[in-house]
Amino acid sequence: MRVADLSFRYGRREPWVLAGVDMTLGAGDVVEIVGPNGTGKSTLLRLLAGLLRPVRGAVEDRPPVVGYAPERFPAAQPFTVAGYLRHMAAIRKVAPGDVDEWTDRLGMDHLLGQRLPDLSKGSAHKVGLAQALLCRPGLLVLDEPFAGLDAATRAELPVVIAEVSARGGTVVVSDHQGDLRGLPGIRRYEVADRSVREAAAGTGPEPERLAVLEVDVPASEAARLARRLRADGYAVRIGPAGLAPSGPGSGEREAPDLRDLGASDVGDSRVGPRSGEAS
Amino acid sequence: MIALVRFRIAGYARSHRALQPLIGLLPLLAILYATPVPPGQEIGAAADSAGILIPVFAWAARGLLDSEPDEQRMISIVAAGRAELVSGLLAAFAYDLVLAAVSEVALLTRLAGSPTAGQVALGVALHLFSVVAGVALGALTSRPILPSPAVSTIVLIAGYIATLMVSASSVHWLSVPVMTWMRDAHHGLLESRLPWLAAESLLWPAVGLAAYAWLRRTRP
Repeated sequence: MRVADLSFRYGRREPWVLAGVDMTLGAGDVVEIVGPNGTGKSTLLRLLAGLLRPVRGAVEDRPPVVGYAPERFPAAQPFTVAGYLRHMAAIRKVAPGDVDEWTDRLGMDHLLGQRLPDLSKGSAHKVGLAQALLCRPGLLVLDEPFAGLDAATRAELPVVIAEVSARGGTVVVSDHQGDLRGLPGIRRYEVADRSVREAAAGTGPEPERLAVLEVDVPASEAARLARRLRADGYAVRIGPAGLAPSGPGSGEREAPDLRDLGASDVGDSRVGPRSGEAS
Repeated sequence: MIALVRFRIAGYARSHRALQPLIGLLPLLAILYATPVPPGQEIGAAADSAGILIPVFAWAARGLLDSEPDEQRMISIVAAGRAELVSGLLAAFAYDLVLAAVSEVALLTRLAGSPTAGQVALGVALHLFSVVAGVALGALTSRPILPSPAVSTIVLIAGYIATLMVSASSVHWLSVPVMTWMRDAHHGLLESRLPWLAAESLLWPAVGLAAYAWLRRTRP
């Protein structure tokens, strides 16, 4: 698959989002797209997936079967998880049994009977990943796939991506959080100033420092807040208030190894950063 | 593609949006058929019904096409390619046929006399023209083409009014000939002019649907 001198803007009077982009993506490549917010990463992914047409240039030799998981799964649909995935399987012409494989691997069997609008952000994101994976794509395009996932699925997704790559599929991932940086052979393209440049292996951005954010909350609200933060991908430990020192200079240090005390009688939450997350 | 049509109809039917066109359709039918249709007025009544229901069919088509979130439409495009566009139009056409069937049944039950098979067939043909025009107008005002709901609604209503005005003017051939349907039907001329009227009635919706398909190339 080749991107040849691609330029794109959303309208004639709009500024160019991407200009003169050249990329070559081989079978089995795993490509990480990085760059600051608003530089055109999602636009590039949509161009690669065939959702947008280049204003100039072309995307050539795109594999016929493409899987695409958007950054935000559209959960406002009147289906259960099982019903939605059955429809997607039928549209993709894959056996309904293939749905079970992916719901099992992504740890979402318990969600099958739930309505899509009732899902948490992380659970909805899993549905988006499942529909993208069940067609055995030759090109898999994932827009921020790790956002909101629980630890088990965050660990499983690189394995899934490696499998798609091993059978000759091309995987393109925009990933702010750096969960794929340990994947051997991963290529990295950086989007900045309307251009896309391939970064040499091992020259990606350094993992950012970790920080601990302490939040004092009423004990009755601790569990709810912890769920929300975990859904956003943060490591959360809950402990009694007053454990940590306060004052200038105490807001940024290594996370203490607190025992998870549950939320029934304590109200001090320590929020660890997501892997590689900005502090 | 049939699976995608089923998915879109299922999503539309399970949402509240599927009921919205009925809010327009049922009062219109109640007004149209408040009194029985006298013998000899069967085709005229069918033409009036077909002409008046175009905005209802357009509203239903637009609602169906807009019922799925934008990101879902993108997932469907990746899954089905250009069949996504066709599946949406087919689903809208299918739902509009259900609404047309409801209006046909209402008409038939309010006829004072017994219509001939030819009269029923003419009524069905007129409603088919109306459905096709409604699907085209609904598609051209759907969210990928007109993202603003306010602009979309205004264009839908203005498009229908413009169709009525142009079809009543000397350049009636520039639009779906809605007023000609009604005039010819009430004067007993519809049957003899049907082939020409059919061509004229289907031409402009075909142009509209082609424009919709062309615009969707850059509006996923």
